[in-house]
Amino acid sequence: MIIAQLDLRLENDLAELEPLVRALDFFCETSALPEKVAHRLTMAVDELINNAVDYGYPDHRAGEITVSLRHRGTQVEIELADDGDAFDPFTAPAPDLTSPIEDRRIGGLGVHLIRTLAASFAYRRDGDRNVVTLAFTLDI
Amino acid sequence: MQIDRFVEKDVVITAVRGRLDSSTSPKLDEFMAVIPDGSSVLLLDFAELTYISSAGLRVVLKAAKLAKGSGVTLAICGLIPPVHEVFDVSGFSTLIPIHPNRDAALATLG
Repeated sequence: MIIAQLDLRLENDLAELEPLVRALDFFCETSALPEKVAHRLTMAVDELINNAVDYGYPDHRAGEITVSLRHRGTQVEIELADDGDAFDPFTAPAPDLTSPIEDRRIGGLGVHLIRTLAASFAYRRDGDRNVVTLAFTLDI
Repeated sequence: MQIDRFVEKDVVITAVRGRLDSSTSPKLDEFMAVIPDGSSVLLLDFAELTYISSAGLRVVLKAAKLAKGSGVTLAICGLIPPVHEVFDVSGFSTLIPIHPNRDAALATLG
Protein backbone atom coordinates (compact mmCIF):
# COMPACT_ATOMS: atom_id res chain seq x y z
CA MET A 1 0.00 0.00 0.00
CA ILE A 2 1.14 3.53 -0.73
CA ILE A 3 -0.45 6.44 1.09
CA ALA A 4 -0.66 9.03 -1.66
CA GLN A 5 -1.03 11.95 0.67
CA LEU A 6 -0.85 12.80 4.37
CA ASP A 7 -2.23 16.06 5.80
CA LEU A 8 -1.75 17.06 9.43
CA ARG A 9 -2.82 20.08 11.43
CA LEU A 10 -0.93 20.83 14.67
CA GLU A 11 -0.89 23.35 17.46
CA ASN A 12 2.32 25.38 17.83
CA ASP A 13 3.43 23.15 20.69
CA LEU A 14 6.41 20.76 20.69
CA ALA A 15 4.19 18.15 22.42
CA GLU A 16 2.66 17.71 18.95
CA LEU A 17 5.92 16.24 17.65
CA GLU A 18 5.42 12.77 19.12
CA PRO A 19 2.13 12.03 17.31
CA LEU A 20 3.55 13.76 14.23
CA VAL A 21 6.55 11.42 14.20
CA ARG A 22 4.20 8.42 14.52
CA ALA A 23 2.23 9.65 11.52
CA LEU A 24 5.42 10.21 9.51
CA ASP A 25 6.68 6.73 10.44
CA PHE A 26 3.37 5.28 9.25
CA PHE A 27 3.60 7.18 5.95
CA CYS A 28 7.20 6.06 5.40
CA GLU A 29 6.62 2.42 6.40
CA THR A 30 3.45 1.85 4.40
CA SER A 31 5.10 3.46 1.38
CA ALA A 32 8.24 1.31 1.99
CA LEU A 33 10.48 4.36 1.63
CA PRO A 34 14.23 3.65 1.78
CA GLU A 35 15.44 4.21 5.37
CA LYS A 36 17.67 7.12 4.36
CA VAL A 37 14.76 8.90 2.69
CA ALA A 38 12.52 8.28 5.71
CA HIS A 39 15.20 9.69 8.03
CA ARG A 40 15.84 12.72 5.79
CA LEU A 41 12.23 13.77 5.56
CA THR A 42 11.44 13.12 9.23
CA MET A 43 14.52 15.15 10.21
CA ALA A 44 13.50 18.03 7.91
CA VAL A 45 9.97 18.23 9.33
CA ASP A 46 11.31 17.90 12.91
CA GLU A 47 13.87 20.71 12.42
CA LEU A 48 11.44 23.11 10.74
CA ILE A 49 8.67 22.60 13.30
CA ASN A 50 11.12 23.07 16.18
CA ASN A 51 12.27 26.35 14.56
CA ALA A 52 8.71 27.54 13.90
CA VAL A 53 7.53 26.80 17.45
CA ASP A 54 10.67 28.17 19.15
CA TYR A 55 10.99 31.44 17.20
CA GLY A 56 7.72 32.12 15.35
CA TYR A 57 5.51 32.99 18.32
CA PRO A 58 7.58 35.18 20.71
CA ASP A 59 4.37 36.46 22.34
CA HIS A 60 3.30 32.83 23.05
CA ARG A 61 0.03 33.25 21.11
CA ALA A 62 -1.75 30.10 19.98
CA GLY A 63 -0.89 29.17 16.40
CA GLU A 64 -1.44 26.55 13.78
CA ILE A 65 1.06 24.54 11.77
CA THR A 66 0.08 22.34 8.86
CA VAL A 67 2.20 19.59 7.33
CA SER A 68 1.37 17.78 4.12
CA LEU A 69 3.30 15.08 2.32
CA ARG A 70 2.53 13.63 -1.10
CA HIS A 71 4.14 11.31 -3.58
CA ARG A 72 4.92 12.90 -6.91
CA GLY A 73 6.76 10.71 -9.39
CA THR A 74 10.11 9.71 -7.90
CA GLN A 75 9.88 12.30 -5.12
CA VAL A 76 8.04 12.98 -1.91
CA GLU A 77 6.95 16.61 -1.67
CA ILE A 78 6.39 18.25 1.70
CA GLU A 79 4.69 21.53 2.47
CA LEU A 80 4.91 23.06 5.96
CA ALA A 81 2.94 26.19 6.77
CA ASP A 82 2.76 28.16 10.03
CA ASP A 83 1.12 31.41 11.10
CA GLY A 84 4.14 32.57 13.08
CA ASP A 85 6.12 35.77 12.49
CA ALA A 86 7.61 36.04 8.99
CA PHE A 87 10.86 34.08 8.84
CA ASP A 88 12.78 32.46 6.01
CA PRO A 89 14.79 29.61 7.59
CA PHE A 90 17.03 29.34 4.52
CA THR A 91 18.64 32.73 5.23
CA ALA A 92 20.50 31.12 8.18
CA PRO A 93 24.28 31.49 7.82
CA ALA A 94 26.30 28.41 6.82
CA PRO A 95 27.48 26.46 9.88
CA ASP A 96 31.09 25.89 10.88
CA LEU A 97 32.04 22.48 9.43
CA THR A 98 35.82 22.62 9.54
CA SER A 99 37.22 24.06 12.80
CA PRO A 100 38.96 21.73 15.25
CA ILE A 101 36.81 20.39 18.06
CA GLU A 102 37.69 23.05 20.63
CA ASP A 103 36.72 25.88 18.23
CA ARG A 104 33.76 24.22 16.46
CA ARG A 105 30.67 26.33 17.00
CA ILE A 106 27.66 24.47 18.40
CA GLY A 107 24.42 24.83 16.45
CA GLY A 108 23.13 25.93 13.07
CA LEU A 109 23.17 22.40 11.65
CA GLY A 110 19.43 21.79 11.23
CA VAL A 111 18.87 24.05 8.23
CA HIS A 112 22.23 23.00 6.77
CA LEU A 113 21.10 19.33 6.85
CA ILE A 114 17.86 20.21 5.04
CA ARG A 115 19.66 22.31 2.41
CA THR A 116 22.10 19.48 1.77
CA LEU A 117 19.77 16.46 1.85
CA ALA A 118 16.63 17.81 0.16
CA ALA A 119 16.40 17.67 -3.64
CA SER A 120 14.84 21.15 -3.52
CA PHE A 121 13.70 23.66 -0.91
CA ALA A 122 11.83 26.96 -1.07
CA TYR A 123 10.26 29.54 1.24
CA ARG A 124 7.46 32.01 0.60
CA ARG A 125 5.37 34.34 2.76
CA ASP A 126 1.75 33.77 1.81
CA GLY A 127 -0.53 36.26 3.60
CA ASP A 128 0.05 35.66 7.31
CA ARG A 129 1.73 32.28 6.79
CA ASN A 130 5.28 31.05 6.30
CA VAL A 131 5.25 28.30 3.69
CA VAL A 132 8.23 25.99 3.17
CA THR A 133 8.19 23.43 0.37
CA LEU A 134 10.67 20.58 0.17
CA ALA A 135 11.21 17.63 -2.13
CA PHE A 136 13.11 14.42 -1.37
CA THR A 137 14.25 11.98 -4.02
CA LEU A 138 13.17 8.36 -3.50
CA ASP A 139 15.76 6.60 -5.65
CA ILE A 140 18.97 7.25 -3.72
CA MET B 1 15.02 6.72 24.24
CA GLN B 2 16.95 4.48 26.62
CA ILE B 3 20.50 5.01 27.86
CA ASP B 4 22.67 2.22 29.29
CA ARG B 5 26.18 2.59 30.65
CA PHE B 6 28.86 -0.13 30.84
CA VAL B 7 32.50 0.05 31.82
CA GLU B 8 35.08 -2.18 30.12
CA LYS B 9 38.55 -1.60 31.60
CA ASP B 10 39.00 2.16 31.31
CA VAL B 11 36.46 2.57 28.51
CA VAL B 12 33.08 3.96 29.53
CA ILE B 13 30.43 2.82 27.04
CA THR B 14 27.19 4.74 26.77
CA ALA B 15 24.64 2.90 24.63
CA VAL B 16 21.71 4.91 23.35
CA ARG B 17 18.56 3.29 21.98
CA GLY B 18 15.74 4.95 20.09
CA ARG B 19 15.49 8.55 18.96
CA LEU B 20 17.78 11.46 19.78
CA ASP B 21 15.78 14.62 19.10
CA SER B 22 14.80 17.86 20.82
CA SER B 23 12.66 16.07 23.41
CA THR B 24 15.11 13.27 24.33
CA SER B 25 18.53 14.91 23.89
CA PRO B 26 18.49 16.78 27.25
CA LYS B 27 18.59 13.38 28.99
CA LEU B 28 21.76 12.35 27.14
CA ASP B 29 23.21 15.82 27.70
CA GLU B 30 22.75 15.37 31.44
CA PHE B 31 24.31 11.89 31.25
CA MET B 32 27.39 13.12 29.38
CA ALA B 33 27.95 16.21 31.53
CA VAL B 34 30.10 14.32 34.04
CA ILE B 35 33.07 12.20 32.99
CA PRO B 36 33.45 9.25 35.41
CA ASP B 37 36.70 9.28 37.39
CA GLY B 38 39.46 7.12 35.98
CA SER B 39 38.03 6.84 32.48
CA SER B 40 40.32 7.49 29.55
CA VAL B 41 37.90 6.75 26.71
CA LEU B 42 34.20 7.55 26.32
CA LEU B 43 32.47 5.43 23.69
CA LEU B 44 28.99 6.35 22.46
CA ASP B 45 27.43 3.15 21.11
CA PHE B 46 24.72 4.27 18.68
CA ALA B 47 24.03 0.82 17.14
CA GLU B 48 20.41 1.02 18.27
CA LEU B 49 19.99 4.72 17.62
CA THR B 50 17.33 4.94 14.92
CA TYR B 51 17.13 8.72 14.52
CA ILE B 52 19.16 11.85 15.20
CA SER B 53 18.36 15.53 14.61
CA SER B 54 20.49 18.65 15.10
CA ALA B 55 19.42 18.65 18.77
CA GLY B 56 21.21 15.29 19.14
CA LEU B 57 24.27 16.52 17.25
CA ARG B 58 24.48 19.47 19.63
CA VAL B 59 24.75 17.07 22.62
CA VAL B 60 27.38 14.94 20.85
CA LEU B 61 29.52 17.99 20.02
CA LYS B 62 29.18 19.32 23.57
CA ALA B 63 30.30 15.94 24.98
CA ALA B 64 33.23 15.82 22.53
CA LYS B 65 34.35 19.30 23.59
CA LEU B 66 34.13 18.37 27.29
CA ALA B 67 36.12 15.17 26.69
CA LYS B 68 38.79 17.00 24.70
CA GLY B 69 39.13 19.64 27.43
CA SER B 70 39.51 16.86 30.04
CA GLY B 71 42.13 14.91 28.08
CA VAL B 72 39.72 12.04 27.41
CA THR B 73 39.04 10.47 24.01
CA LEU B 74 35.44 10.42 22.80
CA ALA B 75 34.54 7.97 20.03
CA ILE B 76 31.34 6.72 18.45
CA CYS B 77 30.39 3.30 17.10
CA GLY B 78 27.59 1.50 15.29
CA LEU B 79 25.97 4.23 13.19
CA ILE B 80 23.17 2.99 10.90
CA PRO B 81 23.44 4.47 7.37
CA PRO B 82 20.85 7.29 7.76
CA VAL B 83 22.48 8.45 11.01
CA HIS B 84 25.96 8.13 9.48
CA GLU B 85 24.79 10.38 6.65
CA VAL B 86 23.79 13.07 9.17
CA PHE B 87 27.24 12.84 10.82
CA ASP B 88 28.94 13.12 7.40
CA VAL B 89 26.90 16.14 6.25
CA SER B 90 27.48 17.89 9.59
CA GLY B 91 31.24 17.56 9.34
CA PHE B 92 31.35 15.36 12.47
CA SER B 93 32.89 12.33 10.75
CA THR B 94 36.23 14.10 10.49
CA LEU B 95 35.96 15.48 14.03
CA ILE B 96 35.09 12.38 16.07
CA PRO B 97 36.44 8.85 15.46
CA ILE B 98 33.62 6.59 14.21
CA HIS B 99 33.99 2.79 14.44
CA PRO B 100 31.74 0.25 12.69
CA ASN B 101 30.76 -1.54 15.92
CA ARG B 102 31.60 -1.90 19.60
CA ASP B 103 34.13 -4.72 19.15
CA ALA B 104 36.05 -2.80 16.51
CA ALA B 105 36.02 0.29 18.72
CA LEU B 106 37.28 -1.62 21.79
CA ALA B 107 40.01 -3.33 19.73
CA THR B 108 41.30 0.10 18.70
CA LEU B 109 40.69 2.06 21.89
CA GLY B 110 40.93 -0.45 24.72
